[in-house]
Amino acid sequence: MIGLILFIALMGFTLGRNRLTWPEKFINDAFGTVQGVLYRPVGAVADFVRDLGRLSDVYKENEQLRQTVAQYTQDQIKFNRLEAENKRLKEDLNFTKQQKNMDNYRYLIAQVVGSTSNPYEKTITINLGSRDGLKPDMAVRTVDGLVGLVSKVKTFTSTVTLITDLDPSSSRGTPVSATFLGKPESFGIIEYDDEAGVLQMTKIDESDKPADGDKVITSGIGSLFPQGIIVGTVKSSQVGDFGLTYTAIIQPAAQFDHLREVFVVVVPGAEEQ
Amino acid sequence: MRMNWVILCGLVLLIIENSVVPWIIPPGWSDRLLPHLCFIMTLFVAGFSGRHAAFLFGLGFGLLQDLLSYGHLIGPYGFGMGLIGYLAGLAAERKSFTIGFFVWVAIVSGLFLDSVVYFIYKLFRITDLEYAFVFYWQVAPTALLQLFIALLMYVPVRRFLVKSSLSSGEENAE
Repeated sequence: MIGLILFIALMGFTLGRNRLTWPEKFINDAFGTVQGVLYRPVGAVADFVRDLGRLSDVYKENEQLRQTVAQYTQDQIKFNRLEAENKRLKEDLNFTKQQKNMDNYRYLIAQVVGSTSNPYEKTITINLGSRDGLKPDMAVRTVDGLVGLVSKVKTFTSTVTLITDLDPSSSRGTPVSATFLGKPESFGIIEYDDEAGVLQMTKIDESDKPADGDKVITSGIGSLFPQGIIVGTVKSSQVGDFGLTYTAIIQPAAQFDHLREVFVVVVPGAEEQ
Repeated sequence: MRMNWVILCGLVLLIIENSVVPWIIPPGWSDRLLPHLCFIMTLFVAGFSGRHAAFLFGLGFGLLQDLLSYGHLIGPYGFGMGLIGYLAGLAAERKSFTIGFFVWVAIVSGLFLDSVVYFIYKLFRITDLEYAFVFYWQVAPTALLQLFIALLMYVPVRRFLVKSSLSSGEENAE
């Protein structure tokens, strides 16, 4: 009975806490380091085996990639011109230095060193910590798109909560605001539906009816969170609660299992604080 | 049991659980099959060296596991594994620890552990899934996989980790 009370107290105390004490940090760092030694080689072998199975698809993929690169080079020229023009205009309008640096995100590459077997806390561990300038609530992405938020920062490792952990009807998680690519005024909040296994974007305004195939990106409202990271594409949409807003079902762009390398996005303004 | 070796083994299993197992599980099943290797070890401790050792072992490794996956709260696995280690030890003291009995214990306690953890998260309103869905989606397949792993581990554990006098005594009793 005393044990039960103690445990309830411990769980209540640790619920929604953000700071870690040094023994926790030490244990996490120690295990993270050892896990990294195992996780990465095993991942490499597993990937190699899977790649062998997909060898026939490589030609097709190669062709696709070539097309993409061709298009990318064209876009690059256009982008450079636009960026130069944008910079000139910003100078004309006397932007402050901080405002100018707003979009200059720094990407820190991190190796995944472990994931957990707890079904209700879908977290991964990465090998960057407070020593590398990480802070809670920073965005974490793969090459494909957004995967999660940094939740607990230790000295050498950190825990990343996947966006599949953002549940609409419970008290946990930090909301991620999103928008449609090409419709900058639109706004919605990313949530995850555990039973259906898909992401949802809720609270979309009536005037921004989502169309199937629209790309969803983060909107960057909120200080630590960068804008323009791909979340996924709209699969279907429906009228939300109370009939005043829309809810879109989103096919995530990134995969959430078998992760090896992720990028932590550092927003310049947040770094100096 | 050789307790020092068992603890070392537990640490290795915990590391394997968090770093190797996610790669072995096929992609579509990664949120359905979540075997807890340390928990299986707790059951062995319960069977071979009694309920008090199993309680401490389960409590310690459960808390360690909670610390490593700390996202919302610390404690569900510490609580669940400690409790079930104790109960399994209690059951094992009543009956002789044969392999048939062990299969039974492994499956029931596997279901029980995941249910306990689910209800703790439900209590703190971190999850709002239905129990029937969780049971079908995650608890049942995990328990079956755990049973399979436990049977694979049975012979090596018995041979290497149980003291020879104890194991021969048990064999006579069977």
